[in-house]
Amino acid sequence: MKNKFLIFVLFLMSVQSFSQEKYLTKEGFVSFFSHTLVEDIKADNFQVLSVIDKKTGEIEIQLLMKSFMFKKALMQEHFNESYIESHKYPKATFKGFIANFNELESTNTTVEIIGILSVHGKEKEIKTTAKLLILKDQINISGNFMADVADFDINIPTVVINNIAKTIKVSFDLQHKPYK
Amino acid sequence: MKTLKIKIVFILLTISIIGLFYVIYLYNKPFIDIENTKAKIEATAQKIINDFQADEHLANKIYVDNLILVKGEIANISFNNGISTITLRDSKGLTSIICQMLPEANLNVLKLKKNDQIIIKGVCTGYLLDIIMVRCILTNDNFDEK
Repeated sequence: MKNKFLIFVLFLMSVQSFSQEKYLTKEGFVSFFSHTLVEDIKADNFQVLSVIDKKTGEIEIQLLMKSFMFKKALMQEHFNESYIESHKYPKATFKGFIANFNELESTNTTVEIIGILSVHGKEKEIKTTAKLLILKDQINISGNFMADVADFDINIPTVVINNIAKTIKVSFDLQHKPYK
Repeated sequence: MKTLKIKIVFILLTISIIGLFYVIYLYNKPFIDIENTKAKIEATAQKIINDFQADEHLANKIYVDNLILVKGEIANISFNNGISTITLRDSKGLTSIICQMLPEANLNVLKLKKNDQIIIKGVCTGYLLDIIMVRCILTNDNFDEK
C-alpha cells in the first residue's frame, strides 16, 4: 500500500516538474439516486478525488464508499454493511479517458467519457456523455449515467427488493484545479 | 373459550403494535450525535497522517467509523454547495486531513482563518490521497495530548 502511495506521489511530482498538465480536485461531488414506488434514496459524496491530464484527457477518480451521506442513518448503515460491504471494498474507482480529447473544437462542449468503473470489487465498462468546460486554470466535468446494480454483484435482500431500484442514477460534478 | 381468544388477539395486537413502533424507530434512527458523544480517539493531525502512511490497512482498523478528536493547523478552508470543508495540514508532505463540516458548523467556520490551531470532532471514513473525515464540528472539548 505504501509503495502504491509512493508511486502515486512520484507520478504526481514527475508530472509537476514537466509543467502544469495535471488538474486535480479533492472535493469533487458524486451522488447516486435510486427511485422506486416505495421510496427514493439519495446519497451525496463531497470528498471525491479526481485527476485529469490536460494533455491526454485521461481521467482517474477515487472515492470512499463511507463518505456517501444519506438522509437516514439506517440507509447509510445498510448500504455500507450489507450491500456495498465497505469494510471489504472501501473505495470505488473510475479509470478512463475523454474520447477525441485532442480534437475538441470548443472548450465548452459535450464529450464522451469511456472507462472502467470499479465498485464492490467488480469492474464494468462505462460509456457516458458529460459536459466539459476548460478554463484558464480550471477543468470542469459534469454529467450522469445509469448503472445496473446487478453488474456489481450487490446482494439486496428480498425484504427490501422493492425499495431499491435495479438501475441507479449516478451524477458527478468535478471541478479540477491545476496541481500545485 | 371466548375470553381466551380475546386474550390471544389482544396479545398479538400488542406485539404487532410494539413491533411496528420498533420498525418505525429503526427506520428513523438518528445519526450519531457528534456534539454529545465522547470521542473514541484523540490524536494530532500529524499522528493520524503518520499512521495512515505507515500502514493504511491497520490505520483503517483504528480510525475508520470512529468518532475522532483531531488537533491540527488549518491549511485551507473552502465552501462548496453549502458544505464547508477544512483541510488540516501535514508539516512536511502532501497528505492532509480533509474534514467535511456539518452545516451547523458553518457559522463558526467563517470565523476561522488559515494557520489557526483548531480541534475538530468527526467521523473518519478512510484514506485516498488524504485522510477523509465527515460530520465534523469544531469543538472545545479537552484535548489530552499523549
